[in-house]
Amino acid sequence: MVFKPHTHIANVKKHYKKFWLIVGLFLITCSCVGNHSLYAPFNLKVHKSTAKEALEYINHFDFSGSNTFWPNVNQHLFLKNIKKNVTHPISMYPGEGTYFCAYSALSYLLLQEDPLGYAKFITSLYKDGKATFRDVLYEPSGAIKREAGLLKYRGIMDIQPADQMWFLTLADHFKGYLNIFNRKYDLGDESTFWASVNYAKFNRMGKKLLDYKIESKGSDFLRPRIKNLYGYITEKLKNGKVVLYINNRIVHKKNHVKIKLAVPTHFIVIEKISKVNDVITLVYWDNGGRTLIQLSPAFLKRIVYGITSFVNQQDYENK
Amino acid sequence: MKTNKNILLPVLFIAVMLYSCSPKNISTKYYYQNEKVLDSIEESYKEINSSTPFDVGFTSKDFKIVSLGILTDSLKYIYEFKVGEDRLADTLKKFGLPVKPVIELVMQMQSIRCTWISSYDYYTDEKKQELIFMSIKPVALNAPLSYKKYYILTYFQQPQYFDNNGLLLERRKLKRLRKINGEIFKRINDKVCYTVSTTYR
Repeated sequence: MVFKPHTHIANVKKHYKKFWLIVGLFLITCSCVGNHSLYAPFNLKVHKSTAKEALEYINHFDFSGSNTFWPNVNQHLFLKNIKKNVTHPISMYPGEGTYFCAYSALSYLLLQEDPLGYAKFITSLYKDGKATFRDVLYEPSGAIKREAGLLKYRGIMDIQPADQMWFLTLADHFKGYLNIFNRKYDLGDESTFWASVNYAKFNRMGKKLLDYKIESKGSDFLRPRIKNLYGYITEKLKNGKVVLYINNRIVHKKNHVKIKLAVPTHFIVIEKISKVNDVITLVYWDNGGRTLIQLSPAFLKRIVYGITSFVNQQDYENK
Repeated sequence: MKTNKNILLPVLFIAVMLYSCSPKNISTKYYYQNEKVLDSIEESYKEINSSTPFDVGFTSKDFKIVSLGILTDSLKYIYEFKVGEDRLADTLKKFGLPVKPVIELVMQMQSIRCTWISSYDYYTDEKKQELIFMSIKPVALNAPLSYKKYYILTYFQQPQYFDNNGLLLERRKLKRLRKINGEIFKRINDKVCYTVSTTYR
C-alpha cells in the first residue's frame, strides 16, 4: 500500500473562476488570520474512554432492523471496520484521491481520545440514519446514504463502509466558504470542492468533535508570523496534539511545474519533531500511517500555513 | 481577402501546433512502441515491491533527483537523492532492498523518462488486488503547450471490464466508469490501461 497525499484546492485549473470568486469572498470576510482561541464552552460533558469500552459497546449493540438507511453498507464489513478503528486509530484511512484528509486528521485524534463516543455515534448513525455527537445532530442526505459503501478505487476504504459513512456525513454536515458553490453531494464529489476544508472550517470542526482547548495560528493564504517555527511546534507538542495545515504540493510533488500556487492543501498530525545540525526530522500521521521526512527550517516555514494545537481541557486548567 | 489570409495562416499554424501537442498522439501507439521496456520496468518493480513496499520516481524535470518512499510496518520513510549518489545504495541496504535491481530500475526509468512508479491496492469482492501505476513524460509530450502532461499506465493483475469505447468500467456496476486518481482510463489490452494526466502521481 502506498500513502498518497490529497489536495483540497488542487483542481484550481478546472474551477479557476469559482476559485477566484471564493478568494474574493474570503478576502472580504477574512477573519481567521492571527492567533485565535476557539475555546469550546465547558458545559459539554464528554467522557474520555478506552478501546476496550468501545469494543464492549459494539459487541453488545443490537443491530436488529439496522439496514434500512444505508442500502449499500455491508453489516459484516461495517462491524469489522469500526472495531479496527477503535483498536487501531492509526489505520484510519481517508481514501485514495479524496479530499477527506482534514476529517481523517480529526478522526485520528478523536479515536485516540474517545473511542466509545465514536462507537456510540457511528452505530447510532448506522441504525437510525442520524445521530448526535456532543450535542450536534448529524443527519446526512439521501445521496450520502445511497453512496456510502459504494466508493471504489480508494484503497482499503473500498472495504471500509463505516469510514465512507463517517467521512461523507462529516463533509455533508460541515460547510465552509470553499463549499459555497457545491453544497449538494453528487457522484464523485468526495474529490471536489464539496469535500474541501478551509482552515477556519477545520478549527470549527475540531471544536465540535473534540474535547480540547483549541488554539490556532495561520490562515488559508498567509503563513503565520512565527520567528522560530520549530521551537513553536516543539513547545505546543509538549502540551498536547498539533495539526499542521501545509502546502503538500511542494512536499509531495505531483508534477514538474516550477511555479506552484502557494496555498495549503493538506492536514497532518505531528507525532514527533527533532532537529540536528539544522535538519528537522518530522514524523507525522496522515492517510492511515506515519511518515518520516527531513527538511530544512526554511522549507518548514515555506510549507506551513496553519498550526492548530489541541490541549487537554484539564491540562489547560492546571497550567 | 488579404486580411482573411493574414488571420487564417496564424490560426492554422496554432491549430496544427495544438494538434501536434495533443494527447491524442500519445495513446496505445506509445505503449506498443515501448512495450518491452515498459513491461520490464513493471516486472522489476512488482518483484522488488512484493518483498519491501516502496515507490520511486523523479521529482526534478531533468530526471536527476530521485524520490524514494519506503514503507515499513511502523513508518513510511521519504528520501531524495541525486542519481548515482552513494547515499541511495546505503539507504537501500539499510531497509533490506536489493541494491543492484533497484538502481537498475532507476536507470531504466530514467532512460525512458518514467517519472513515477508505485502500487495501489483495490478490492474486488472484498479481496485485495494490486495495480501498478506508472507515469511517463515522453518527449512527444514535452512540447511547450503540453509540458504538463504525463502518460499514465496502469497494470492490473486480472482482466478488466471496458465499455464499447474502450473506457475502463467498474466491475460491480458495469455501466459506471472507473476513475483512478480522478482520471478515466482507456484500454490497451485486457490488463493494461492508459490515460494522459496533468500529474504524475
